[in-house]
Amino acid sequence: MKRLLSGNEALAWGAYHAGARVATAYPGTPSTEILETIARFDDIYAEWSTNEKVAMEVALGACYAGVRTIVSMKHVGLNVAADPFMAASITGVNGGLVLICADDPGTHSSQSEQDNRHYARLAKVPVLEPSDSQEAYDMMAIAFDISEQFDTLVMVRTTTRISHSKSVVDLSRSRPAPTGEVGFPRNVSKYVMLPVNARFRHPLVEERMVKLAGFAETSPLNRVESGERNLGVITSGVAYQYAREVFPDASFLKLGITHPLPRELIRRFAGQVDRLVVIEELDPFLEEGIRAMGVEVTGKDFIPLVGELSTDVVGKGAVSAGILTEPPVPPGITAVADLPKRPPLLCPGCPHTGMFFVLASMGQRLKPPDSGDNPAKKSNLIITGDIGCYTLATYPPLNAMDTTACMGASIGQALGMEKAGIDTNIVAVIGDSTFLHSGITPLVDAVYNEGKITVVILDNGTTAMTGHQEHPGTGVSAQGNKATKVELENVVRGVGVSDVRVVDAFNMKELRAAARSALASPELAVIIVRGACAVGVPQRGEPRVVDAGKCNRCDVCLLIGCPAIQTVDDKVYIDTTLCVGDICTICQQVCPQKAITPVTGETE
Amino acid sequence: MKALMKDPLSLIVIGVAGQGNVVTSYLICNALVREGYLVTFGQSYPPQQRGGSVINYIRVSTEIQTSPIIPEGRADVIVAMEPVEAMRMLNQYGNPDVITMVNPRPIQAIDTTGLGVEYPSLDKIMEDIRGLSARTWVVNATEEAQKLGNAIMANVVLVGALVGSGVLPLDRKSMEPVIAERFPKAVELNMSAFDRGVELVKQ
Repeated sequence: MKRLLSGNEALAWGAYHAGARVATAYPGTPSTEILETIARFDDIYAEWSTNEKVAMEVALGACYAGVRTIVSMKHVGLNVAADPFMAASITGVNGGLVLICADDPGTHSSQSEQDNRHYARLAKVPVLEPSDSQEAYDMMAIAFDISEQFDTLVMVRTTTRISHSKSVVDLSRSRPAPTGEVGFPRNVSKYVMLPVNARFRHPLVEERMVKLAGFAETSPLNRVESGERNLGVITSGVAYQYAREVFPDASFLKLGITHPLPRELIRRFAGQVDRLVVIEELDPFLEEGIRAMGVEVTGKDFIPLVGELSTDVVGKGAVSAGILTEPPVPPGITAVADLPKRPPLLCPGCPHTGMFFVLASMGQRLKPPDSGDNPAKKSNLIITGDIGCYTLATYPPLNAMDTTACMGASIGQALGMEKAGIDTNIVAVIGDSTFLHSGITPLVDAVYNEGKITVVILDNGTTAMTGHQEHPGTGVSAQGNKATKVELENVVRGVGVSDVRVVDAFNMKELRAAARSALASPELAVIIVRGACAVGVPQRGEPRVVDAGKCNRCDVCLLIGCPAIQTVDDKVYIDTTLCVGDICTICQQVCPQKAITPVTGETE
Repeated sequence: MKALMKDPLSLIVIGVAGQGNVVTSYLICNALVREGYLVTFGQSYPPQQRGGSVINYIRVSTEIQTSPIIPEGRADVIVAMEPVEAMRMLNQYGNPDVITMVNPRPIQAIDTTGLGVEYPSLDKIMEDIRGLSARTWVVNATEEAQKLGNAIMANVVLVGALVGSGVLPLDRKSMEPVIAERFPKAVELNMSAFDRGVELVKQ
């Protein structure tokens, strides 16, 4: 069966056809669709875990119980899961355990670009890198076999381009019937990492790497494609595709296993070519390994360390290094400059907009359309931020975010600023899914250490930024079943916060009152702002319109940053195809002239 | 399998998030796969939010599985749901042989609400698009879709126009199962949107 599949879909099908019985993940671009695809199969257990650390631990338990298990996350997710990941390396597995780690070269949707192959070197586990969807599908079966044969977690590293691009896949395998019984073979020296046991496991890990290096020498995943001998290219992942297009006649050593390196294969290949180069995205991971072998090689002197590669980037690099005399792709045309940009924005009807407008007004941060400087610099309010759609409130006109570091950081950062002696008001803003992911422990810290900050939890009832995944607060499981709902206000009160308010995200009066009182409070205060994500609301109410007769162009409505509110021919106008209408009405509530009304109101 | 007008053939489908151009690409790509072509589909980021530009790259070949990104200046066909987005793609991926198909209905950018560059005059944009393309098809997709009852079907009208123009080795027969699979509850309505698109380029 041939199908057009994204790399993520192909990885999911590959795991399914390899007989995986348990799948865990926390959503994160570009990895999310792996679990979303797996969750659609009935005969596999799939869960959205609270965070990546938990996902890794659940996966570890499942593989100890003897079933093939897949855990997936984005690159920075592995930072969260690093502790159980390192432990998995030491204990090894029972059923096969495959971690899919999706890196984001080019920082399309992340706080950083990091090359997670370094983690594999740290943990001493093998890495496989697919170059297209077909390989992604095929590699999953091999990854599970390696995991079980060598008693190791196997990392499959994809990147945004591999995960999200679609190509044709032949789904040639089928799902095997469950083999063997599920059972945990109690083995204290393998599974209880007391120092006395861990000490004896470490030499086994080193032996494992030697055996894996031998395996990599002859595995068909590492293959030589002989071409002209004047140029030899060692490459992996999506970089293979770009390099193939730029150097169609060169010889290639295409590595599917990038850790540990097949040293003898590399030496033989190097001996067969006049000039050896490595084309790889992000860090010189392969290049440094090869150079350390004493083999003469170049790569990062003409291929950028930073950002994503492409046929253009590799081509330009090749010209600068004198490998090609002219770029393989002639430059295009130069045409019209100064087109309006379309940065991503909070949607029309977004439940985050109202609270940000309140915080921005109270902090005097709103940026009038024609002002040059950024008023947030002079604000009397500090807003520490977190990771989600709401990070977009950083942009004008709201200017409502001062920090964003990693999942859950807002609360700890706010507390740190307070303890450092900042005397202005400090507000931490965090989403519902992010709060459950890693906001609870810093809130406990703020309770315990007598913090006086205000924490705003923006509860839109979903994991919106990654495309509406369920989480413990939604009451629905990854596979669409009813689940026990974790109530945010119970969690917050349960850890010891007494000043807790739950407010309607679209009621400006309530929002203002809650913010004023929390900021004035001498103790830790939590405001839960509740309102459904606009994208998830199927019914649109009556759109709003601007009465041009009443509008005096004070432009307050433009300061909420709603994409439906625009100016055309010097008049403020609401695009009725974008406006969500009755569920929102924030513009109507903030208009001092009462010039914004329901669309039918005009004709009354 | 019919030969392509160029092999590999590189198409860009561009629009503003929420206009449905990922569905446009989905229909085209899956119809091509059913006919046996090798297809690679890539996209720009972040596509999740409303209001941003969404670029889809489609590369088709009878022989090779290509890389997912179209090199600069190397688009063969640009299908744009919005005029400024068509211009943006011509700037980056245009060349003297490029064929452009554009839905001329502008969508204002938040930049134009006093925060940056103004939306250019539509006449000027359309004139520039024509000047920079070897062939230009102007398809009033939104308008036609509204006549059929829902502006959201503009993307299917555009698919019809693209197939009707003969740029791709596809016809009504190859599109119908894909449209039926994507819109199982509204097959007839979407097929009429498709047919309307075909008619528009035949006129």
